[in-house]
Amino acid sequence: MTASTTPASSGPRAVVGAPARRGSRVRRGVVTLSQYTGFAPAMVLFGLFFAAPMALIVAYSFWTQEGYKVVSDWTFANYQSVFNTPVYVNTFLVTLWMTAAATALTLAIAFPFSYWLARYVSRRWQRPLLFLVILPFWVSYLLRVTAWTIILGNNGALSRLLGVVGLSTPSWLLYDRPAVIFVLVYLYFPFAALTLFAALERFDWRQMHAAMDLGATHPRAVRTVMLPQIKPGITTAVIFVFIPILGEYLTPELVGGTRGVMIGNLVDNFFQEAQYAEGAAIAILIAAVVIILLLIFRRSLEVGETYGG
Amino acid sequence: MAGEANAVEIVSRSSRLVRGALTGWAWVIYIFLFAPIVLLIMLSFNKNRYGTFPITGWTLHWFTGIASNPDLQSAIKTSLRVALEVTLISTVVGTAAAFSLVRSRLPFRGAFRIAFILPIMIPGVLIGVSLLTFLRQGLGIPLSIETVIIGQSVYTTPFVLLIVASRLEGFDRSLERAASDLGANWLRTFRYVVLPLIAPAVLAGALFAFTLSLDEFVITFFIIGPEVTLPIYIYTQIKFGITPAINAVATLLIITSLAITALGLLIPRLVRIPVRRVRTRRARKMQRAAPAASSSA
Repeated sequence: MTASTTPASSGPRAVVGAPARRGSRVRRGVVTLSQYTGFAPAMVLFGLFFAAPMALIVAYSFWTQEGYKVVSDWTFANYQSVFNTPVYVNTFLVTLWMTAAATALTLAIAFPFSYWLARYVSRRWQRPLLFLVILPFWVSYLLRVTAWTIILGNNGALSRLLGVVGLSTPSWLLYDRPAVIFVLVYLYFPFAALTLFAALERFDWRQMHAAMDLGATHPRAVRTVMLPQIKPGITTAVIFVFIPILGEYLTPELVGGTRGVMIGNLVDNFFQEAQYAEGAAIAILIAAVVIILLLIFRRSLEVGETYGG
Repeated sequence: MAGEANAVEIVSRSSRLVRGALTGWAWVIYIFLFAPIVLLIMLSFNKNRYGTFPITGWTLHWFTGIASNPDLQSAIKTSLRVALEVTLISTVVGTAAAFSLVRSRLPFRGAFRIAFILPIMIPGVLIGVSLLTFLRQGLGIPLSIETVIIGQSVYTTPFVLLIVASRLEGFDRSLERAASDLGANWLRTFRYVVLPLIAPAVLAGALFAFTLSLDEFVITFFIIGPEVTLPIYIYTQIKFGITPAINAVATLLIITSLAITALGLLIPRLVRIPVRRVRTRRARKMQRAAPAASSSA
């Protein structure tokens, strides 16, 4: 690209002679080299402290635990042990179920919101209102979870509010699965709203009008005309919400109680107790789900990117 | 716009109903998003000794209390030190990698892009436990502030990379070519042309990395040594119950994060002004030079 345009732009100067040209070639060589070296620090950082640890975890999941050490005897025992312990299998399945529920709920409440923002809000206000949605993202993640323990907790804001009306707080509202799902929806709502808005912003609303002129009801027009077209955006939103929730351990720990335990808490426990091999096996199971999801939706994600330009 | 108004008229009342319902929904969402944060800030000014409801009066006592809490102060200091070093590392590494990613025609560039963004996509718990295992078991390094700095950098660098890369992609390469045609070597070209143009993105990336580091909990939790950062300190405290002191620290942390974010949004605007001025001055010079060049040609 550069090679084809440079001679044209420096056309008049080319007459001056060869030395200038050779100089530029050397210079270009140096620039090219410096461009390649740009990767070097990142390769060191990510290679040594991201790729190598991940590789080690994969190896550990197939190695043998002896006391507090892991020795390199290859085995499937860790996976077998995980799959043969009903509590672990159950926690894994419950986690998948909770993650799916939280993701579905997040998208369900984000879609009408993004729809409203994309369709009914004037262009001037769209950006500020969208910024307000992302703003909580800059408030510490730990503090956002903490804030909910204040609201939902024993003697929290909610129970006081309900007490004034004369109701008692339902027990599932704290230290149980619904509470975990609720807080997860809160935490990941901005991701979904942002992605869905980006998809809806590119949608041609005249097609909706056309469908409704032809007699479709509002919900039907949304379902048959709009949803198929913004599918890549929906897929991206699902991925961006589902994957991080799958690895959650703080939210279940703070608001989940004993029933709200997720797979991330299991991993945490195993590693805190220096049971590295089995912990690694569970960690790899999480990673496997993440990778399978990314592979399945790779195509739609790519399409999403091309749409995004 | 006119066409839309027309359509709305045709589609009539049911459409207006939908619009009203959706607007109401949006209000509910905004309340849902901000209620917990506003509540947390409110409680930090609450006189109640137990850090929760009811509100028994207003006080600044919990904020002044921070001054006489050595644990808290050392946590704040540690957090600031970590955040500064993480910012430095991720800004340098991220910016350098962004250049290679956008500029070079390396084979597997797409693969590199995905590989560098992976630390954001993978759940933090996996990065945390794998680093813990690698550092303790693999390398036998004791956990310390340095390990936290490394762990957080793995997570923050991709963000800097993305921000700087997106700026570089929208970068007019002809400016650089013009500089080198005018005799500037690559160092001068970088210093006087490239750097001023990407500076807003680099600064925004740095501020973003700083905020992320200041708030980082998920990875830090696994690789923290005896010294604790602020989020870890807050975590160990709330395990025993919420105290008003924690609410006050929370409020300070929220205000700091939001202030840095605001700064990140303002800086590109502030920086762009002098750049634009230079650009127009340069453009004027070029215009003045252009007739001469065309007459000589």
